[in-house]
Amino acid sequence: MKFLVSRYNPESDASPYMQAFDVEVSRGMMLRDALLEIKRQDESFAFRHSCGEGVCGSDGVNVNGTNKLACITPISELKEPIEIRPFPGRPIIRDLVVDMTQFYQQYKAVKPWLVRNDPMPEQEILQSPQDRDKLDGLYECIMCGCCSTACPSFWWNPEKFHGPQALLTAWRFLADSRDQATDERLDALEGPYKLFRCHTIMNCVEVCPKGLNPTKAIGHIKNLMLKNAV
Amino acid sequence: MSRKASGLKAWALQRLTAIYIGLFSLYLLLVLLFAAPGGYIEWKAWLGGSLVSVAMLLYVLSVLMHAWIGVRDVLIDYIHPIAIRAALLGVVGLSLVAMGLWAAQALILVRLA
Ligand code: SF4
Ligand code: SF4
Ligand code: FES
Repeated sequence: MKFLVSRYNPESDASPYMQAFDVEVSRGMMLRDALLEIKRQDESFAFRHSCGEGVCGSDGVNVNGTNKLACITPISELKEPIEIRPFPGRPIIRDLVVDMTQFYQQYKAVKPWLVRNDPMPEQEILQSPQDRDKLDGLYECIMCGCCSTACPSFWWNPEKFHGPQALLTAWRFLADSRDQATDERLDALEGPYKLFRCHTIMNCVEVCPKGLNPTKAIGHIKNLMLKNAV
Repeated sequence: MSRKASGLKAWALQRLTAIYIGLFSLYLLLVLLFAAPGGYIEWKAWLGGSLVSVAMLLYVLSVLMHAWIGVRDVLIDYIHPIAIRAALLGVVGLSLVAMGLWAAQALILVRLA
């Protein structure tokens, strides 16, 4: 099967180019297996991967125009020639490896941890099963970055707009009954950039390999903000 | 718009004006289809009615406000050099104000006539 893979070595190439590889595919083969085979053919080829089962979130790539996790993408679902590029909009370090620094900075900016003002209890902070249910569809994010690097608003303003991943996380903590920083979190999201660059384009929802819905989470944040403002 | 108002307020206003624009457009469409004033005199009488003229003024303001928020969003997205963005925002803002004043003038003249 024919693969076209984006190659780029900043030390020797002026710009990224596509290189063709021929890979023999077997039944049940995942895209990551093909990338590993390509690496066997040309060991200078660079891409990230680790767990091989859609858990670590390190092997996000752009396949035929869509961001996917290579390890859980069956080759049989892809149209030939299979074009593999790095995540769009990110600076390329080499081949398919991109610089995700801004993505992590946006994550850090939403304070992705529980904030408590009350003194910590002796043991755990209890939560009702109903309140725990509110975190479903939020906590499962593996931070692969498929969503944020598919989001046009993040392409244009990656240093100021939080992007779908960080905003999903922001809602994950706003929705947590144990968190006590609702006002501070909402105040921090005010202004035209951090939250309100989202124009509900929904690219993020389409690509999330975990089936999460950042757009819905963003809608919840906006509604809560509105509710607290009036 | 103040810094604090630039996020949530703009977003809420955009939604609010959209609802009003939708409703009043529907009303306008229905009037034009089923009860269109016959001539100039009838038009003036219809538009000069106190309810219609106020609703129309609100409609024009909503359209202008909606346009302002939309254009501002596009400029924030795509135009990053702050001087160019400010200049474009200024041109758009002034044109919108001019249009609003023009519409208000027309409505006042209709009311007075
Ligand atoms: S929301 Fe989905 S696509 Fe985005 S980082 Fe999390 S798991 Fe990946
Ligand atoms: S819905 Fe919002 S966050 Fe998701 S891709 Fe669109 S603009 Fe980005
Ligand atoms: S290798 Fe871990 S998610 Fe694909």
